[in-house]
Amino acid sequence: MRALVVDDSRSMRAIVSRILRQLGAEVVEASDGRVALDWLEAGNRADIALVDWHMPVMDGLQFVSAVKSHPEWRSMAIMMVTTESDHEHIVRALIAGANEYIMKPFTADAVSQKLELLGLFPRTG
Amino acid sequence: MDDSMDEVVQEFLAESTEGLDQFDRDIVALESDPASAEHLSSAFRIFHTIKGTCGFLGFDVLEELCHGAESLLARLRDGELTLTSARTTVLLDVGDTIRSMLSVIEQTGHDGARDISHLVERLEALQVPTATDLRESKPALAPVGAAAGTAMAGESPGGAGGSIGLDSPPPPAPAAPPKGDAPGAAAATTPEEDAAPDLADPTPHLTERSVRVDVDLLDSLMRQVGELVLARNEVVSFTEAITDSAMHQTVQRLSLIVSELQEGVMKTRMQPLTHLWSKLPRMVRDLCSQFSKEVIIDMEGGDTELDRSVLEAVRDPFTHLIRNAIDHGVESPTDRVAMGKPRAGTLSVRAYHEGGHVLMEVSDDGKGIDTARVGAKAVETGLVPAERIASMSTREITDLIFSPGFSTADKITNVSGRGVGMDVVRSNIESIGGSVDVISRLGEGTTFRIKIPLTLAIVPALLIGCQGQRFAVPQPNLVEMLHIGTQASPAAVERIDQATVIRLRGKLLPLIRLEEVFGLAPAGSSGDDRAVVAVLQSDDLKFGLAFDEVYETQEIVVKPLDALVKQVEPFAGATILGDGTVALIIDVVGLASTAGLRETSERLAASGLEGSESEEEEREKTAFVILKVGENRTVAIPVDQVARLESIPTATVEKSGEIDVVQYRGALMRLVRLHEVLGILGHQTVPDAPLKVIVHESDHGPIGFVVADLTDVLEDVVDLTDVDSGYGLAGAVVLHGRVTDVLDLETAILWMQREGFFADAR
Repeated sequence: MRALVVDDSRSMRAIVSRILRQLGAEVVEASDGRVALDWLEAGNRADIALVDWHMPVMDGLQFVSAVKSHPEWRSMAIMMVTTESDHEHIVRALIAGANEYIMKPFTADAVSQKLELLGLFPRTG
Repeated sequence: MDDSMDEVVQEFLAESTEGLDQFDRDIVALESDPASAEHLSSAFRIFHTIKGTCGFLGFDVLEELCHGAESLLARLRDGELTLTSARTTVLLDVGDTIRSMLSVIEQTGHDGARDISHLVERLEALQVPTATDLRESKPALAPVGAAAGTAMAGESPGGAGGSIGLDSPPPPAPAAPPKGDAPGAAAATTPEEDAAPDLADPTPHLTERSVRVDVDLLDSLMRQVGELVLARNEVVSFTEAITDSAMHQTVQRLSLIVSELQEGVMKTRMQPLTHLWSKLPRMVRDLCSQFSKEVIIDMEGGDTELDRSVLEAVRDPFTHLIRNAIDHGVESPTDRVAMGKPRAGTLSVRAYHEGGHVLMEVSDDGKGIDTARVGAKAVETGLVPAERIASMSTREITDLIFSPGFSTADKITNVSGRGVGMDVVRSNIESIGGSVDVISRLGEGTTFRIKIPLTLAIVPALLIGCQGQRFAVPQPNLVEMLHIGTQASPAAVERIDQATVIRLRGKLLPLIRLEEVFGLAPAGSSGDDRAVVAVLQSDDLKFGLAFDEVYETQEIVVKPLDALVKQVEPFAGATILGDGTVALIIDVVGLASTAGLRETSERLAASGLEGSESEEEEREKTAFVILKVGENRTVAIPVDQVARLESIPTATVEKSGEIDVVQYRGALMRLVRLHEVLGILGHQTVPDAPLKVIVHESDHGPIGFVVADLTDVLEDVVDLTDVDSGYGLAGAVVLHGRVTDVLDLETAILWMQREGFFADAR
């Protein structure tokens, strides 16, 4: 399984990537939505993107909309990484096409459970 | 902690430090452009990121601090608040604190047990919108309900109120701003004053301008000032007998200083309403989710100040009104949309000064009060007899919601609908000398208006005497004063069954005699005449109180009664008068219930003896011009139909066909002989005697009605007995004992048009 981590915070990327690697995923990091879209545009593909909400240049919601409106990228699952205070935003993200969300701070188990819900089995992927 | 985790921490430290540097740059940029969305978003993201990462790394203290800063920045970014210097200062302080915490983390691996509570409190206090914020971002109301902002997620329920101290034990209160400050300025400085003492002192000028004072100390100062006022009053009354002018001057100066001191101390006890309101957005939000409603709250006038004891007293009633508005007032989002209203209801809370009072309004744009339903429910529950409802005005019916045990709610929620609400709201407000009014329009919304005094400690009161004893009646309860038993008195004493009543302008009011209620004299010993009656209002009940003497109105210092006698109902407290004697303060609500007045009043209502007062008062006197028409017919014309009375020389009357006209004010005026219109035999006119003409401004221009004579102008309250004569006689009235026909000139003109009187006019 290949995961795309989109977050403007280096430390958050490090934390999320670390968990995903523990779960056996191959991880690609992007510092904002624009970088991630460029990467996809270059023909790269991932099974899932874990996307932060607040990012400069292109925020999480814009990124979700862009991905889900592109015929070739639409199949990529998107998990919003949010905090409790962003609760209301989750609904908007889900409407825009995000598939799951996970609330910070989370454990590796929580990520694993959410991935299973999405039909992604990291250990075998 | 494994290596990779250690790496994450290192990454976090580096990134956070960079973030804080960026934050400093953002703040600098914001100083010149406080509303820059770019920099506010950037600053918000920095704290958001640090907070998010802290959760994973277990830096709870740091997380809490970042959360506070993030919330404040979110509201700044969303335009709900504006970046004031106080807010900039606290954000910079947060930045510095985080920096030093990061270095602790670098050395020890954890964020230490640093006490950041004061900083968090300041952050929360500064999230309370001030007048400036409300002005700056008028349309950007604090959203609650479904669209609630992130800011109100503050965990500490104490919030801003706690830090300034309405309820917590030794909570220091901020000194009131200097007298003469504009209200806006006062509001803007409050958070700064609040914040200042906590600072290490980056802004020394703030520290110098205010001190924190223990509330107990303020209370004791207030008590002592009260004593001083009493002592002053005594001194003043002693010196009245002394003729030494130097002494008088000194006493006058003393008196003035005491008054100013009293005012000053009272001012220090003033707190802005924001203390009460700061919890509103959160509360509204919770209620909204509980009732599945959407409500936007709009607050205005939070900087209005009240004595802290008053503020405490209105807390519960106010909360209740908010709950009611959301539960009963605002409709569900689907209902609202169906009615063409915006999905989210608006709850506006407003406060302002008026006279010596503060008015607070709680309005919603919900469904309003259905008076038909209120009436039906009142009859159903036996509150009001069915036959009485019909004669009640809409306002009186609306007022029934304040009756004990009243509820129109079909289902009882745990918030409202038990009917233990509005009556308590009213009695709570009235217990502090205030009043509650409700204005409601079906389908459009409801407004509750609470009128509250600025302070409870000193109230204006009327001093009265009865059987040699003196009592004080609080001014807010006093409606009017009457003398009974004299010829000119508008009121007469009557007796119905056991009850004595006075008839005042057609309305019967229960009358109680002070000496009887208080057992000052054997009942019935005093005559009905020569007594003074004060008409008092308590709740919805008006009654007369008879006593012997009226002294003066005075600002009295209220002394609470000792706990042993506190339950004695008719007294609200005591005060010490200028001569050192004690006067009991009459609690009007308590007095009414002691005297069993409510029952009397209901009996009166049921007896049907009283005319509806509102009807009586609405019926003004009408003035009539009394005319002689023809030989001996008397007719009255309402004065407002008569433009002028003229005397016209017969020689100036011209004939235009069959019609008499006269040059009048540069135009031709039709003359109509009134006796012809009324079919009355004309009288013999003296040749060449001028015609007496009533000029009426009709839609066709002026018309002159020729009459035999003008006899009088009378004024009276009249009942028209309807006699439809067709030609303008609108009915008959009894004017000063004589039955007189009333002529409506417009109707007469219409009749004349029909009958061809104007066939060849113009």
